Parts: sequence; C-alpha cells; structure tokens
Amino acid sequence: MTRSLFLFAVLLSLPWLVGGGGFVQSLAAEETDQTDAARRAGFEKNLLPAFRQNCVKCHGQADEVMGDVNLAKLVDQTSLASDPELIQDLIQVIDLGEMPPEDEGELPQKIRGSMLQELRRQLELAVAQQDRLELAEIRRMNRFQYNNAVKDLFQLQSIVFTLPERMMREHGNYFKPASGKMPDDVKVGSRPLGKSQMIEKRLAGVAAFPQDLRAEHGFDNRGDQLSLSPLLMDAFMSLSQSILESPDFKPPNVGIWRDFFAAPESETSIPDELRRRLRPFLTRAFRRAVSDESVNRYVDYATRQINNGISYPQAMKQVAGAVIASPRFLYLYSTSFQPETSGREASTVIQDATADRSADLDLASRLSFFLWGSIPDRELIDLAEAGQLRQPEVLQAQFQRMMSDRKLKRFCDSFPSQWLQLERIISSVPDRDKFPGFYMLKYRHSMHMMLEPLLLFEAVLIENLPLTQLIDSDFTYRSPLLRNAYGGPDGGGKGGGVGVLNFRRQEVTDRREGGVITSLATMTMTSGPERTQPITRGAWVSTVIFNLPPEPPPADVPPLDENPSGEESDLTLRERLAIHRERADCAGCHEKIDPLGFALENFDPIGKWRDTYENGREIDVSGRLFRRHEFSDIVGFKDAILAEKDRFVRGFAGHLLSFALARELGPQDQSDLDRIAAVTIADDYRIQTLIREVIFSRPFLGGVRLSDQRLTTSP
Amino acid sequence: MVALPWLESVGLAAANPTVAKRMVHYYVPIGVVRRGFFPGEADHVIPKGNLGNFFKSLGKQDPIFGVKPLEQLTPTLEPLEPFKQKINLITGMDRTFQQGTDVHAQCASCYLSSAKPYTIKGSAWPIDRTLDHLVADHVGRETPFSTLEFSCNSHRDNKESIHFDNISWFGTGHLAPSIRDPRKMYNRLFGTGQATQAKDVTDLVLEDARELKRDLSYTDGQKFAEYFDALRSIETQMKRLQQMKTELAMVDFPEPPGTYLPRGEYIRLMGDLMVVALQSGLTNVATFMIGPERWDTPFMFDSLFDKPRSHHQMSHNQTKFIDDLLRVDRFHMEQYVYILNRMDSIQEADGSSLLDNSLVTYGSGLGDGATHQYNDLPIVMAGGGDRVKSGQHINMPEGTPLANLWLTQAQLMGLEVDSFADSQAVVESLTV
Repeated sequence: MTRSLFLFAVLLSLPWLVGGGGFVQSLAAEETDQTDAARRAGFEKNLLPAFRQNCVKCHGQADEVMGDVNLAKLVDQTSLASDPELIQDLIQVIDLGEMPPEDEGELPQKIRGSMLQELRRQLELAVAQQDRLELAEIRRMNRFQYNNAVKDLFQLQSIVFTLPERMMREHGNYFKPASGKMPDDVKVGSRPLGKSQMIEKRLAGVAAFPQDLRAEHGFDNRGDQLSLSPLLMDAFMSLSQSILESPDFKPPNVGIWRDFFAAPESETSIPDELRRRLRPFLTRAFRRAVSDESVNRYVDYATRQINNGISYPQAMKQVAGAVIASPRFLYLYSTSFQPETSGREASTVIQDATADRSADLDLASRLSFFLWGSIPDRELIDLAEAGQLRQPEVLQAQFQRMMSDRKLKRFCDSFPSQWLQLERIISSVPDRDKFPGFYMLKYRHSMHMMLEPLLLFEAVLIENLPLTQLIDSDFTYRSPLLRNAYGGPDGGGKGGGVGVLNFRRQEVTDRREGGVITSLATMTMTSGPERTQPITRGAWVSTVIFNLPPEPPPADVPPLDENPSGEESDLTLRERLAIHRERADCAGCHEKIDPLGFALENFDPIGKWRDTYENGREIDVSGRLFRRHEFSDIVGFKDAILAEKDRFVRGFAGHLLSFALARELGPQDQSDLDRIAAVTIADDYRIQTLIREVIFSRPFLGGVRLSDQRLTTSP
Repeated sequence: MVALPWLESVGLAAANPTVAKRMVHYYVPIGVVRRGFFPGEADHVIPKGNLGNFFKSLGKQDPIFGVKPLEQLTPTLEPLEPFKQKINLITGMDRTFQQGTDVHAQCASCYLSSAKPYTIKGSAWPIDRTLDHLVADHVGRETPFSTLEFSCNSHRDNKESIHFDNISWFGTGHLAPSIRDPRKMYNRLFGTGQATQAKDVTDLVLEDARELKRDLSYTDGQKFAEYFDALRSIETQMKRLQQMKTELAMVDFPEPPGTYLPRGEYIRLMGDLMVVALQSGLTNVATFMIGPERWDTPFMFDSLFDKPRSHHQMSHNQTKFIDDLLRVDRFHMEQYVYILNRMDSIQEADGSSLLDNSLVTYGSGLGDGATHQYNDLPIVMAGGGDRVKSGQHINMPEGTPLANLWLTQAQLMGLEVDSFADSQAVVESLTV
C-alpha cells in the first residue's frame, strides 16, 4: 500500500473524520482547484440551512443570543471564514453532541455529519487564508531548562541547583530508555513535603532563581509566564558568576575543563587559541551560528583579562560567566519567522540558504528543549548547520537517538507531572482525624502516591506501549506502603520509609485500579480535606484526559458547607450538589463535567474504595459520557472512556504539541492534531509514534520544509 | 547605649540637603506566643499540639475598635520600654488565607503583597508587587538600590521553597531575592572590584543583546525590550554607586568575617548593614526577615539554648515549650530594639534622627504558630517622627485587613494612593 493510500484508510476509520475530514481535505485541496464559488456553495448548501433550522432560534434570532454566540450574523461564507475560533467551537459542540441542547432534540445523523464535514473544510480554508506560521514568542529559559542547559554546556557531573518542581528522584540509574524496558524494581526518591530528599550533589553556593509559574491549562515553558525583571536580570548576572565561582566548579566536575578552561600546554598566540576554543563554545551556548564579530568580542575580553595578569582558567571562567549571562544563551527565540510587514514585497516562504539554515537551527533547539529540556548537543547543531536535519531519514534517526538517550528523563521530569497536574498533591492535606492512616510521622502517604503515575508514564514511554495503558493499565509500580494503601497485603520488604523508596512492578487484575485516573494520587489531590469533590474530579478528567478544560465557574457561587446542616445531612453529595446548581448558567457546564466526577465517588478523599457514604446512603456513580456512553460503575466508566479513546489520544496530542511548541494551540493546529492522532491510532496507539508525529508535524517543523515532501511513516 | 554612627553626618549634610523618608519591615516568622505578646491574653489557654489549620484564636479578643495610651508592656514587648513614645502597638489586623498553598509559605510570601486574595490568575499565591517596591518606586528613584532585602536565615540546607524565605516580590512570580550572607551584602553595598568586572560583562552581553534584537520579529522585539530595561536599571545602579564613591569611602564599616557568628551577633551585624545602607543613602527601603517560615531543621540560638532548636517544631508543642518560645519571641524583640536604637542614635542633616525619618514595622504573618491563624496579627510600628501619632495601643475592629496599615504607610511615605490590595480605609489613629 502506498503511503497516502494507507493514511487515507487510517483517516476513514476515525469517528471524527467520517466522510473525510480536515487532513484528507487538505490533500484534496492541493489537487483540485478550490474556487471561491465552490466555498460559497458548500457553505450555502451544508451550513446555512442547518444553522437556520437548528441553531438561530437561540443563537441570533430575535435578539436571543445564548452563550454569546450569534449564528444569524453568518449570512455568507466570508463572515464564517473570518472567525476560525468560532468554527473550531462549532465543530466541538456539534461533534460532542453538546449542541443542540438535550431538550431541543438531537440533530439527525445525516445533517450532523454533513455539517461537521463542511465545518472542517471551512476551518481548513479559513486557516489557509491566514497562512501564517505560528512560532512561540521569545521567552527566557525557565529554571528547569536553565539548570539542564548549564549542566550540558559545561558537561557538569552534578546538577546546578535543587529543583523542587522535579517530583521524582532517580536512584541507581534505573531509567535506560535505550533498553526499551523499565526494570521491574526501581529505586526512587520523592519530594516529601519539605524537599530534603531532593537534595543531591549540586554546585555549592549557587542559589536558584524563583520557580516559574505555569500557564493556565498550559506548561511552565510558555512565553507569557517567562518574563524578565531587573531583579531577575540581576539574579541571572550574579547566578552566572556564582556558578563559575562555586568551589565545586573544578576540573573533576567539569567535563570541558581540559578543552576549555585549562591553560594551553603549548605556546600559541593567546587570541588564536581563544578563538579556537570560543567559537564552538559560543555556537553550542547560543545554539546558532555566531558572527566573527561576536567571537572577537569575547576573545578581546578574555585577552584583556589574561594580559591584566588574571590566570588562564580564571579568565575563561569570566568569559563563560558572561556567556551564560548573555541573552543569546538565556532566551529561546526563532529567527525563521515570516516577515510581518505587508508594505514590503510579501514573500511567505523564505528561500535563501541562510534562512533555511536558521530554520534548521531553530528546529534543532525545538527538538532538544522538547525531549531533553536543554540546549541541543553538538550532533544536532552540526546536522542543522549542514542542512541535513531536514532530510526525513536524518530527522527520524535523530528522533530515535534522542529517545534512547538518558537525557529523555528530563522530559519525564517535566511533561507528565504538569500534564497530570500532579503538583496539586503537594498541598493535599486530608483531615487528620478522619484519615489518620494517611500520615506517618511527619510525612504523608502522598509522597509515595505521586510516584505511581509518574512511573507508569515512564514505563509506557520507554516500552513504547499504547497510550490506553495510561487510562486502564494492566500493570503498575507500587511500594509496599502503596500496596497496603490500595487495600492489599504489602508483600513484605522495606520501602515504607522516607528516603529511598522501592517500587516494584506488579500486575493489575482488578480493573477498578490501573491507569492514572483512579490512582490514589489523582483521587487524593482532587479531594478536599474532608470530602471528595466530584466537580473538581470531573474538571480534572475533562481537562487532563480529553483536553477539554471547562470554563471557570462564576465568581458569585457560594461553596458547599463542609458539614451539612439539618435537612441536608441526609442527602447524598450528588443530591446536595444538585440543589446548588439550579442556576441555568451553571447547569450547562455541570451537565458535562459532573458525571465524570461522580463516576469516581467510590474512591474516598484518600483514594480508598467505599461502597456507601458515611451517612449510610448508597453511592450512585451512574452517568453518561459525552451524552453517549452510559455507565453504572467504575469499570463501566473506564469502558466508556476507552470507547472514546481516539478522542483521548487527540486530546493528549494537544497537550504534548502545546508543550513541544511552548505555546497555546489554535484553530490553525487542529488539522495537524487530527493527523497526529490518526497515525498514532493506526499504529496501535503507541506513545512513541505520537511523539514522532508531533515532531514531524507542520507546526513543530516550523519554517523547515522536509527535503523529501513524501510523508514518512513510523518504522 | 550610645552607638557611634558609621558616618559623619556633616559629610552627608552637604551631599543630601533634604532628608529622605525611609521604610523598614522587620518580619518575625511562625507567629508569637499570644499570652506573652498581647495585652489581656496572659491567662488565655495555651494551644495544645499542632492545631493544623485551626485558623482562629483560642481565646477571645476584643472585637471593638479602641485606642489607649501604651502603658504597662507585656513580657514580650518589655524590651520596647525605652521607645514607648516612638511606637504604636497595633492589634486586630487580619489577612485572608487563600486556599491552595501552605499556610507558612503564604503568610510570609504574601505578607506585604498588594494583591487582593483570589485575584492573581493562574497562581495559588495572592502575590503582586509588594509594599516595599511600591514605596521604592516613589522614594527609591535616586538611590543605587531601590530596595534591599535582608534575611537572617542561617540554615545550611535547602529545605524549603522560596515562599518560606522571602517577603519581597517585584511582582507576581518575580521574587526580589533576599541576601542571607553578611559578606555578600557587604560586597553588594561596598564592593568595588566586582563592579568593574560586572561592567565589562555588561558591555559584552549588551552587544549580544543588540545583535540578537536584529534577528527578531517585530513582536518578539517588543517583548525583548524587557531585557534592555533590566540592563539599564542595573547600569543605573552601578552609575549611582560610582557617583557615591566619595561618600561611600567615608563609611567606616569593617568587612564582615567569614567565620561563624553566634546567632545574636549575626542578626545584629545584618542589622548594622541595613542601618548603614539607610543612613548613607544606598537605599531608602529595606525588608528584614529575622528567620524563615517553618524550616524544621534545628539550629543554634546561641545565647538562649545550649542545643540546636527548631522554632517551628516548638511552636507546635506550646504546652511543653512555652517558656522557651517566650524566650525566642523576646530575643527577636530585642534584635528589633537593637535596630531601633541604632537608627535613633543617628542624627541626620536636619537634626532629627534616622528613626524619626523612617517607618520601622515589626510583624508576623501568623497570629499564633500553633493555630496558624491569619487573624489578629502581632504588629508594632516604630518611628515616623512628627508625621505619626505614637505611644498608643490601637486595637482595630474585628476583620480589619492588614492592608489598611500598608495603605496608611504608603500614604505616609508620600504615595498618592487610595487603596492597597484589599484595604478598606487608612488607620486614622496613626496619622497626625
């Protein structure tokens, strides 16, 4: 089967692409000439009548504009094409069956199908019309990246400073991605509620700059969160000095000492020798070609210092300190942007070799910051400079090399915990009187709990397992303490302490367990101190699993009393919440997210299984997912999610692409998400396929046009 | 005690004909023992164990507003006796706890914040530009350092996050990091050799920045302006230090030793550094943390106990450690009084004392270390000279936000503002 036929078959099998969706359409668009007339005809035939018949009654007619969506204004194709965000929203609500609302009756299947097909086509056209490459905005490194970048640049044997945001510490190098197998027994450390366990060998006398905040529904690598203040600037200046001045910054700890810092053994001209050392160093530090002018500036500075009688290593330390204080080291930015001025002759594709090279170098940086949380290594830079990274087989080989490198651990230290919002467990404080078993000495069980989903993620990643294992895994990693907390025998052995924890792989046969959703960590961190919070849990499932973050609640809704009074004390939580959401403006959202939370009510605030509430009432977990899949217990709920596993994969692709690009996704990325998901699904949902497809996607490649335009498939 | 000023005031009089207004915040972690600090609570029940997030006083406080002359001082306040006419004891001030972060972390990091609770999107911390920086925007425009941040955290481990160790923030997520090492602070204030090197480096990176900017798109170029702004402000700092060189050369302050200092000496040395910075015009605004929040690791309170102790752990066992905790509270108060003393002994160009020209506030973000309450915080405000009514015990009505006091201070420092964070009004009893 040829590649494109294969892909076509894949796409046809996808529920949201029935009848040919975005990507197929875009292939077709290249072949057939889409005239304006055809666009208008599609709109007038497939959308306009459907809007008039099914939507405008509440959305635009007679001044009724529910939810601020006015479809009566969409009188022609141009008005629709000018609003890609609206098209994206329309696709979502129709696809998920959210609109028309339940009491208005469902859309006939045929109309629904043709509307979706036409909307996807219109979205593609609208995006193509704008034809702009969205690159992440300029941003400084966050401190996780800074730490890794400094370590890699100097090839340090230790970390630079302690990072509490890294939740798991590896002991005994169990993480070997090249082996393709997670060991059955792993030794790990956890971030307890202080962080002394995280203390590892680091540079003495170096203090970190503050932890970077995460974007809402995003990651801590986004530009809108990473700005620079004079104070931080000052901190960077002194940080760079303190790194080089640290007593631990000495030959045995610094891999490049001999080649860079040590005084030359032979008598050579000082500037020549400096130039020989500084050019590769600057290229690596700045991740792009450096001009002679820049090299000379640094050479002149170092020469001056040496001539002033400063020792060679000391002068090199001063230069290195300046390099890592330079904005060209600190900032991540693209130079392969398209011109934005319309006055000049608009050339949308940059063609000359220099521009190609900077696009290739941008890609090398994107790759390494995505998978290694750091600057690219020499090999990546060399390939980019030689113009080879744009060859699909070279890019493929680099992808595989990076996935086999131990530096992939940094991806595991940053992406999964943020995707799962796992930092929330750090502030989980179940009530001590109600859950005394949660506490041990001055620690909490949460320090074991938070490791389970992270280890599952690492195993799925290293072993290239289907993403569905994250929902409903048939294995997991647990410590004796966790085995006990899940209600089983602890199986003996040590590992309940607070230092090095022993986690062992075990089968999961009880389908109430397994996967990230019903893990003790998730159940605990989405609960309050005294009771579960079904809405919080529902919002978590919607956001994390399906990448459909709900709108924030209106500010004027009073919270539930922790201790229900009088007549309410006999009600179940579901009944109490029902009273509290009688407001019409709340019901719409809650109908969607609440069932996803109530489905998990059998898990108490610390994740333990329960059949009844404290007041003796039975727990009712029944509900429907996306108004389609009925369930009445937790296994049924997992089955419902698995029935929508393609949607989960697309949602996950969205999280990952947003992390990889360090920006928010928009309408222009939707067809790429379709394609990434389609290829992943066709390859048995394998996680590495998904990562590979992210890298080979148009938004990730940025300005780079692969030398071979044929789409390559995963091996 | 007569302290010798480090600087001849004559020298300064010529350079600074007008006397600047200064502000200092002296932060005490982990609350205080209420029985020892608050008038009328001597017989209240002692909190038993760690009351977690009890969040309320165990005993009853007077909910009604009242102003009384400051007469008999409670045991913890006793060291303030010589300053009774230059201080106000302020009780009944509250902060609002925002769910989602640790009580100790939030009580310190958000103590001086200008953010209304629950208004900072995407963050569990109600942190916005803190009072010290807002005030420095007004009174710190001419000084080399717009603010200085001191911390007497002598812990060697890296146990807690920044939120336990800092009260000063440039803005949401932008920490103004504090300096703990007296030598480091000394070098920041008086170091000369480093400045030249840093200058060279600044030139190098500035050239890099210019080269970088040429490669950027229009919008990225706009955002990158922040880099030049930041560099400029550091350059200004260097330039002003250079201009003050002659004056700074007159400062007779020995370089701090690198050896271990007993806790009291260490704190007082940091206090001396702060006072000389305020006196010499290096800055007009400073924050001074006497220790970090929580931080369980025991350490030596040299003059108090013969073994290392953890302030935090003791605070959760008040029934057992109440006497020791009272000694810690009193020790912290004595260090505050030491700073007041130094400031009061320094005569400025117009004949008034440095203390008279400063607002020096003692306070904690917790009303009690065991209950973790954010209400009824212990606050003492000293200084202010003629601008402030002093010698009073002011009890604010129940539910008065601490921001009311910060608003009052901002206005006393010359800011034209009518609100600060969740403030409702100024504390009128303080103003003349």
